[in-house]
Amino acid sequence: MTAALLGIFGLSLLLAMILGRTHARIWLGLSAVASLSGLYTALRTLITAETWIWRGGFALGGETPFLRLDGISALFLVLVSLVGGLGAVYAHEYWSGHHHPRSAPGGRCWWSALVLSMGLVLTCANGLHFLFAWEAFALSAYFLITLDHDRKEARKAGWLYLAASHAGTMALFAFFSALAARTGTWELGPVHAQTGLAPLFWLALFGFGVKAGMFPLHIWLPSAHAGAPSHVSAIMSAVAIKMGVYGIVRFSGWLPMPAGSGWVLLGIGCLSALLGIAFALAQNDIKRLLAYCSVENVGIILIGLGLSVLAVQHGQPIWGKAALAGTFLHVINHGLFKSLLFFGAGSVLHATGTRDMSRLGGLWKVMPWTATLFAVGAMAVSGLPPLNGFVGEWAIYQGLMRAVAQKGPAAGVLPAVIVLAGAGALALAAFAKAVGIVFLGAPRNKPAAQAVECGWFMRAPMVLLAMIMIAIGLLPGLFFRPVMGTVAVWAPQWAMTDPLLATRTLGGTHTLLICALLAGGFLIMRKAQSSGTRTGPTWDCGYATPTAHMQYTGGSFAGIARGWFAWLLRPEIMIRRVRGHFPGKALVLERVPETILEKAVMPGAAAVSFVADGARKMQHGRLHLYILYVFLGVTALGFMVLLGGM
Amino acid sequence: MPLYIDVPLRLLVWLLLAPLLPGVINKVKAWVAGRQGPPVLQLYYDLARLWRKGVVLSTLASPGFIIAPAVAWAAVVTAALMLPLGGAGTAFSFDGDVLLLVYLLALARFCTAWGAMETGSAFEGMGAAREVSFAVLAEIGIITAILTLVVQSGSIALSSMFEPLSGPGAALLAVGLFIILLAENCRVPFDDPNTHLELTMIHEVMVLDHSGPPLAMILHGASVKLLLFAVFLAQAVLPLSELPLMVSVAALTASVLLITVAVGLVESLTARLAFRRVPLLLTIGFLFCLFPLLLTWMGDL
Repeated sequence: MTAALLGIFGLSLLLAMILGRTHARIWLGLSAVASLSGLYTALRTLITAETWIWRGGFALGGETPFLRLDGISALFLVLVSLVGGLGAVYAHEYWSGHHHPRSAPGGRCWWSALVLSMGLVLTCANGLHFLFAWEAFALSAYFLITLDHDRKEARKAGWLYLAASHAGTMALFAFFSALAARTGTWELGPVHAQTGLAPLFWLALFGFGVKAGMFPLHIWLPSAHAGAPSHVSAIMSAVAIKMGVYGIVRFSGWLPMPAGSGWVLLGIGCLSALLGIAFALAQNDIKRLLAYCSVENVGIILIGLGLSVLAVQHGQPIWGKAALAGTFLHVINHGLFKSLLFFGAGSVLHATGTRDMSRLGGLWKVMPWTATLFAVGAMAVSGLPPLNGFVGEWAIYQGLMRAVAQKGPAAGVLPAVIVLAGAGALALAAFAKAVGIVFLGAPRNKPAAQAVECGWFMRAPMVLLAMIMIAIGLLPGLFFRPVMGTVAVWAPQWAMTDPLLATRTLGGTHTLLICALLAGGFLIMRKAQSSGTRTGPTWDCGYATPTAHMQYTGGSFAGIARGWFAWLLRPEIMIRRVRGHFPGKALVLERVPETILEKAVMPGAAAVSFVADGARKMQHGRLHLYILYVFLGVTALGFMVLLGGM
Repeated sequence: MPLYIDVPLRLLVWLLLAPLLPGVINKVKAWVAGRQGPPVLQLYYDLARLWRKGVVLSTLASPGFIIAPAVAWAAVVTAALMLPLGGAGTAFSFDGDVLLLVYLLALARFCTAWGAMETGSAFEGMGAAREVSFAVLAEIGIITAILTLVVQSGSIALSSMFEPLSGPGAALLAVGLFIILLAENCRVPFDDPNTHLELTMIHEVMVLDHSGPPLAMILHGASVKLLLFAVFLAQAVLPLSELPLMVSVAALTASVLLITVAVGLVESLTARLAFRRVPLLLTIGFLFCLFPLLLTWMGDL
């Protein structure tokens, strides 16, 4: 059954790649078939907790193909299938052949290639083939990011992505070859017994960490996710970075973990969560804001995973299992709300032509669907009840708090609780800003006032995602059950443990809460109608003629919190004041650079280039000097032999 | 007591008693200043009057402008319902409900900021920005206080986590939580609930354009939030749950009243803080919560 369904998944994507160039509708149908079959297989594997294994009877590159679908790969396959399918529907309108005749065919083809290669990454259980799939995945993502290659921004983002991605892949090459050399086989599986393999985890953490976008390896992520077309941003942010998370999760379950690895994961998680959201808050570009928010969420995932690693090392199944379940649910949750948010941002971009929040405003009036759905996503990503974002974070918090309450050796996770709370509050600030500046208030320029709502192909995927998110909030128990299938694969020794998650009571409280919210909202609307409503200009302490430009902008909204992080963000502000008798136009420009890239990586790379340029001067084509080099070299060698002999 | 009697009963207590607190504060302020002051029940009159009035809407406002106060109100009231009341305990409780409480308050904050952004005014945007920014510091303070209780009691459910510290730890925690109470409820020295049209205000400026029933909900929600913080503070530092039922309820009432009077006294005797000092004082509040955490944590090692 699983083999047949996965066959359908692979074949329809392969067909979609070939036919997609010319037949948009057939491509859409094939993508839907692939998505449904992948989703069904993944959910079935999670619920039945059966591992599917397939070994080919032939050799590919000297190795027999070996595929495996277990609880961990199935969890991530849920995301790949869901966002892969919904993104295809969204792209049908967003990046249609009508609007983008040159890039749309390629976009369809590479989209299917990306989904297929991510499916392969998840199922390949042979290190060599895993690397093939990983490379195919990285390349198809590159072609999707640079789909709109007429724009210089997209080309630059793609180049940065490719460079960073290959830096990671290099570490993975070393990792898989070392693993194969030490274990004697390319086939992957649990190797807990060989404790000598523990240091390899650091290689895997770097290689997969680049892809996952954990701080400070996230440098490629903001520009790539912001510069790409929005459906690509959605799958990159919601799913592709999860492939890096998949690698870290996978090998933290399989490898013997080095001492201190749990603390390192926790530390990186805290750093990513706090600084990722600080960067997000300071952005003026809505898609960059969302991209940095992914760094934060990867941080939350790593905090949970780090705690689970600690739980294994200290033999504490109860809070370990709670944190791990929360972590895996958060993987799904982030995939859901981040794709919803990117779809929403894409809808705004499609309608207004700008991603700069300071040029938008008041969009709820012309785009009520997008505004409502984006608001649902924003509330979920801020971890507000009764939505899905809260459920996952709630379980991670419980794991952390139980670890602290036990006062054991793992009680040092205490700062992580405070960091998580701080990051949550900053996320709320960032998304109050995004929603408030983009959708509420008055339109700040003409395109924002004249925007039109997106069509149903773009709207339907968002509606579906929002519905799943609300369902997770109301029925957390139902959704924790498949996630437990993943937990069982990662830590089989915890099978008999009850993580003590009161999902039923939480679900009940959420249901009551949502009833109370709906009833309250309904009553106040009725009351407002019955007691009479007058409209007028915003009172605002009596401004007679307020203009749209007097509104608070994104930059001013984030000003206070940006000040707290100015040591890292280094905001660049250019002010041209009103001066003289005939003043020119006054101007304030703000930019928050990608500090790590511009202040650390680029100068480092420049230094390397400088040294390399210096070394190149030695190669100039003058023969007599080459003879001198040889002479000097031989003399030096002679001296070494002589001195060594003494 | 069955749930269907217990919950409505608690709901009544919270809804009816909360508006008393601002009245008491104002009375204390008047008393210190030698004035007679408004009646203690003034907020009840105000709420009744506002509820009968019509709504004036900004042309820019979406339906969310009216719904957001209702959602914020429902979130705060739900959060309040989850708190134990001295010896009466909680109506319902589960592991991790304390996080739900914190995030329900965050939901209320999101909705208030939403309402402020609806009007497209610089003033209200400013208020929203300040509210969500300062809340970051307040929230880590609250989480630290909660962690202290978690470490002390070994429980993560509201029904059993109020096992107060003794001695210096309790005193420090009381000061820390009191500072956070002042900040989260927009009292002096963070904010001045008496003024309008001041550039230094936070909460008042966010609700400038609200009127009629939605404004009534905002005012009532604010009073419930104040009561919530007072009840939380009292139970965090006083061993109320160990007393007999009636005594503990009486003690809780007395301590809440005491906290309210203290708020009034602070308001009468101190001036509002310079605006850029606000994060500093909040950080001090956080530190006051952090020290008892370290005390309880290290105490047993």
